[in-house]
Amino acid sequence: MFTVNLAIMIPFIAALIIPLVHKKVSRSYIGWVVFIVPAALFVYLASFIPSMAEGNTIVHTWNWIPSIGINFTSYLDGLSMIFGLLITGVGALVVIYSIYYLDHDEMLYHFYVYLLIFMGGMLGVVFSDNIMVLYLFWEMTSISSFLLIAFWYHRKQSRYGAQKSFLITVGGGFAMLAGFIMLYVMTGTFSIREIIASVDDISAHALFIPAMALVLLGAFTKSAQFPFHIWLPDAMEAPTPVSAYLHSATMVKAGIYLVARFTPVFGGGEIWFWIITGVGFITMIWASFNAIRQTDLKALLAYSTVSQLGLIMSLFGMGSAALYFGYSAESVVYTQATFAALFHLVNHSTFKGALFMVIGIVDHEVGTRDIRRLGGLISFMPISFTITLIGSFSMAGVPLFNGFLSKEMFLTAVLNISKLNIFSLENIGAMLPVIAWVASVFTFVYSMIIVFKTFFGKYKEEKLEHQADEPKMGMLIPPIILAVLVVVIFFFPNILGNYVLSPAMSSIYPGFGPNVDLGVEIEQWHGFNTELWMTIGIIITGIVLYLLLKYWKGIFRLFPRRFSFNRLYDNALLFIENRTTNITNMYMTGYLRDYLTYIFLFFIGAAGITLIYTGAFTFDVSNDVPVSMFELIMVVIMLGAGISILFVKSRLAAVLLYGVLGFAIAVFFVIFRAPDLALTQLVVETITTVLFLACFYFLPEWKKEEHDGRTKMTNIIISVGTGLVFILIALGVQHGQLFESISRYFEDAYELAGGMNIVNAILGDFRAFDTMLEVFVLVIAGMGVFSLIKLKSRKGGRKIEDQ
Amino acid sequence: MNNLVILPVLIPFFTGALLILFSKKQRIQKIISSISSFVILAVAIYLAVYVYQNGITVLEVGDWPAPFGIVLVADMFANIMVILSAIVGVVCLFFTFQTISPKREKYYFYPFYFFLLTGVNGAFLTGDLFNLFVFFEVMLIASYVLIVHGGTKYQLRESFKYVIINVFSSMLFLVAVAYIYSITGTLNMAHLSERVAELEQAGALNVVAVLFFIVFAIKGALFPLYFWLPRSYYGPPAAIAALFGGLLTKVGVYAIIRTFTLIFYHDAGFTHKGIITAIAGFTMLLGVLGAVSQFNFKRILSYHIISQVGYMVMGLGVYTTLAVAGAIYYIVHHIIVKSALFLFAGATEKITGTNDLKQMGGLLKTHPYLAWMFFITALSLAGIPPLSGFFSKFPIILSSFQEEQYVIGGVALLVGLLTLLSMMKIFSYVFWGKQKHTEEQAKYPAGKLLLPIVPLVALTIILGLAAEPIFSYSLMAAEQIMDPTHYIDSVLKE
Amino acid sequence: METIIIILAGVLVSVATYLVLSKNLIRVILGTSIFSHAAHLLIMTMGGLKEGSSPLLGEEAATYTDALPQALILTAIVISFGVTSFFLVIAYRAYQETNTDNLDILRGIKDE
Repeated sequence: MFTVNLAIMIPFIAALIIPLVHKKVSRSYIGWVVFIVPAALFVYLASFIPSMAEGNTIVHTWNWIPSIGINFTSYLDGLSMIFGLLITGVGALVVIYSIYYLDHDEMLYHFYVYLLIFMGGMLGVVFSDNIMVLYLFWEMTSISSFLLIAFWYHRKQSRYGAQKSFLITVGGGFAMLAGFIMLYVMTGTFSIREIIASVDDISAHALFIPAMALVLLGAFTKSAQFPFHIWLPDAMEAPTPVSAYLHSATMVKAGIYLVARFTPVFGGGEIWFWIITGVGFITMIWASFNAIRQTDLKALLAYSTVSQLGLIMSLFGMGSAALYFGYSAESVVYTQATFAALFHLVNHSTFKGALFMVIGIVDHEVGTRDIRRLGGLISFMPISFTITLIGSFSMAGVPLFNGFLSKEMFLTAVLNISKLNIFSLENIGAMLPVIAWVASVFTFVYSMIIVFKTFFGKYKEEKLEHQADEPKMGMLIPPIILAVLVVVIFFFPNILGNYVLSPAMSSIYPGFGPNVDLGVEIEQWHGFNTELWMTIGIIITGIVLYLLLKYWKGIFRLFPRRFSFNRLYDNALLFIENRTTNITNMYMTGYLRDYLTYIFLFFIGAAGITLIYTGAFTFDVSNDVPVSMFELIMVVIMLGAGISILFVKSRLAAVLLYGVLGFAIAVFFVIFRAPDLALTQLVVETITTVLFLACFYFLPEWKKEEHDGRTKMTNIIISVGTGLVFILIALGVQHGQLFESISRYFEDAYELAGGMNIVNAILGDFRAFDTMLEVFVLVIAGMGVFSLIKLKSRKGGRKIEDQ
Repeated sequence: MNNLVILPVLIPFFTGALLILFSKKQRIQKIISSISSFVILAVAIYLAVYVYQNGITVLEVGDWPAPFGIVLVADMFANIMVILSAIVGVVCLFFTFQTISPKREKYYFYPFYFFLLTGVNGAFLTGDLFNLFVFFEVMLIASYVLIVHGGTKYQLRESFKYVIINVFSSMLFLVAVAYIYSITGTLNMAHLSERVAELEQAGALNVVAVLFFIVFAIKGALFPLYFWLPRSYYGPPAAIAALFGGLLTKVGVYAIIRTFTLIFYHDAGFTHKGIITAIAGFTMLLGVLGAVSQFNFKRILSYHIISQVGYMVMGLGVYTTLAVAGAIYYIVHHIIVKSALFLFAGATEKITGTNDLKQMGGLLKTHPYLAWMFFITALSLAGIPPLSGFFSKFPIILSSFQEEQYVIGGVALLVGLLTLLSMMKIFSYVFWGKQKHTEEQAKYPAGKLLLPIVPLVALTIILGLAAEPIFSYSLMAAEQIMDPTHYIDSVLKE
Repeated sequence: METIIIILAGVLVSVATYLVLSKNLIRVILGTSIFSHAAHLLIMTMGGLKEGSSPLLGEEAATYTDALPQALILTAIVISFGVTSFFLVIAYRAYQETNTDNLDILRGIKDE
């Protein structure tokens, strides 16, 4: 059966097939083959629109890892439908566009593979009900974005941008993962629907706020919210189709999707409301302000995207206020904010997608996108100009374009919210319309910059790499389609509203009941109200500011780059690199003595602390066997020999003393009734001593150990400490066995193994396996000695392979 | 009672012995060793199936009944380890064929290789504490020989440090065995478990537990005992570095998990959730900080070993069935991925002649397969789904949150991010950027080098996409070791 | 007796530790050898000293000393002999390659 699960997998399958067939398909067709995927999926998803409009949802599960509750469950509802259509629709257009945009001699199929992986990942994010699967796809979009940004990986800036976006988004992803795990700990499920169902039980849980914060961290990093927005301008190093697709229309909206999806879980409280609304507002005004200072058109668009994302984000924050009231006539006023958010989300994708594509065309045709070098293109590129005009004016909120409608709704929402008297809004609520208005003015100004600096003014041929001209028609078609949509939506907004946006509302407010209509009738004209006056004010102020731009541009110098978040990021990376090097070099000194010192100190510390902590140390001599005079003398000899090894000057003396130690131990073995041991010890000791002597033949005489006083002192302390810990533990464990030893069994050696000598019986029979291996060790050592002496690299040669 | 259990030890043992005879005939050496490595793998899998169906399988060596004789015990945990050692054994062997110099081959490289596997498999399977010591020694002496094999200046210098630290830990091991024998009068691990349980791990036993922990922590490269690792693993050829990096430290981790679930589990609040968890955190963090600081392919990988051992031990520290299952899964994942990465480093070095990141670049264009295989493996290492790295980290972090140990859970996530940072650094330097190798090097056919690594990369994908079977296996294995009565009853047949 | 031997072993451990911390290759190896002596003594003591006669069944004694530790020590002696001899050869070869037996010079930061 063809399910949404399979629909998600199709781009991945295609991504697998492309590398296999790319050599057989002509380069100019490969893009068209890829195009089929999003186009078909768009049609497939669109076929569900009528059903969704009736309030249906479709769930389908593939079991994956049931033992920890991770299953691949797809969930198609109104909210995911909007995103699904955007992903596949814009995706299809972008593929067409990229066919003409990318030069044919590049590693073209790589590009399409990344793009398909992204597409699948993005569909997975929005259609997954299981948050772990959602997380999986989430990271997949980050990875494909990473690869796409660095598609021209020979450029340093591309690599830098790729790494930056990757670290920030994946870092946010890890935070989100932690938040998801906390949700699981609270609810015992990974299913979003089940989590929403159990929301009443968890809102008082201690993890509720941390989980919320972590999930939001994921959303904010992905959607480039302040102060994480810094990655998006650097991501503009990607080829323009990628910027249009990932970094304006889809991927950066994943965070917004997440916020919308989790509104029923976390929404309704003051914290959620203020974090999202606040961050949204700050992002909106900061980014729109910064967009004006940009000279690179793509960077300008990037800041504009950030700002618009902030706007949408804040709308979702404001919309969550409705959950505070529950369903009532009163709360519907606030659900309109959410509706506006969804509406602007779609609108933004249309006009921003169109703008990116045209800027890409300009860049492609004349070889630059720096506004200081551009100008007067209107006479060469009239179609491109028209598209830019539509896109920019829509963005600026001018009538006849869809941006006007959603911008008006945004202002309405802000005005409504500012009149609320919950969540401390009575104090600072009045600020919100002011910020919104100022940000809109900035938006208007930079929209004008795009149009007029590029297409009007003086044509500077000498500064361009190519003569300006319209591109191939194929490249123009996708932005034209989007531009047409911008206008069509303005005139017929309610088709979109009723069929696509309204169904999503019940996904965000599931608690309001299934039959509640939260849709909004969108009107182009609603009389001269506050919103309209605000818009008129925006346009007039905007025009004035644009005309006077060169007089007030100096204001940007008040914000030196030294204190920017970009700098913070760069310095943080540098800091990590330097710090880690310092830390690592601090302890990885290369001195054996240092390594051993750490080990001994840890030994003394860990064993010593445990000894004290558990009160294990006991001292009991009552079970000791008596000591004879001879034994005492032997002990004294050994102590003497051992200690004097440290002080003798010649190595010969040291080794002889070592020999004395060995032989004394052999004597002890005799005393302790271990004749076999004594014999072995004698033999081994003799050979070892001889080996040491042989080694002396090759090595130089000892030099006096020269340590400074401090090193010497540490050495002494460590040595004494180590010895002491050994003694204390031994005394603690030694007094009397609590159990009968298993070696009583071996006393029946004669009956069992036919041996009279128990030790031999153990070695030869009971534990013969050990003995076999012991000999084995000896053999390996012998062979090792042989190969070590025989196999030599040439002097100075580092690697034997290199010879 | 089943002789099957001893085969993973005996086959490499006899293979090694046989190979000594053919040390001058390289073709025969290669044929014998490759056949044998596959046989070991087949036996390991067969044994796993057998254990899966019939429960824990015990062999009393020489027919002496437990706890008096030596026993070999194959439970699910030991078994998966044996399979992994067999897999890595095959892969590294074939990589060796591509990279090693004939000179090394003549001087018993292959016998040593199989002797090492003998020791490793023995250490996994043995149920006797002193026998474990002996197998450790077999493994270590073989590792001493292999790490210094070739005898370059660098190797000799760093091996000396490696050997001395291990000799000290062996001594400590011996003494710890003596201590525990003095208290309990037995060496059989099941028997020990019983007797320690009777004493409720009182007093001195805790100290002995700490001693064992130190011994195994030195082998497993845990904080603050890992200083021998990064440099000594840099010296030997890539195949050996891969074998060591993948397998050897994990023997230490295995021994820690084994002893601290079977014998010393009575004071988990202190030993597990206290000491072990804290050490795991430091190990993870310092290891990854070391990795971030490096600009050398192999060295970055060496530091990652340390940080990842931290994750495994963290699974033990959190000490729930799910966490231990995660630890087991992590070991599986790590052995595969870390071996693969070392082999990638070896392949890259073979192509470009360097390990220095700053002297490489643009390999994506000339060697795309190498690049993508490395990319997948690197993501897996960092724990990006749907690869094996994610599904091994995830249960551990989940359990730590469930046990309200948020700090260690957070550290684990942070370390994941830093791991990613350093792996992307490798990718960015080696595969992106401008080509820095010569045209001749660019034409170097990487296919033969990559072929042995393909199974490992495939495994990390399969272990992720088809995580259910291996995950439920890990869960069962964890349930088995979390309840020591299974082990005790099988060995002592009560 | 046990207490005395334990203290003796402890002193040997201290001596060995001190040797291991020095700069000279051979002194370090000497240290590890003394470590194993100490370990063997400790094992011996842990089994209980002189409690019975030698573990030879022919002696027909009422009790025998614990034979198991003796077997363990025997194994350990042989193993440590193997390791020590290999270790000595590494030292010899390291000296041959580097022309120094000083571990401070062998720290090897420079050639990275």
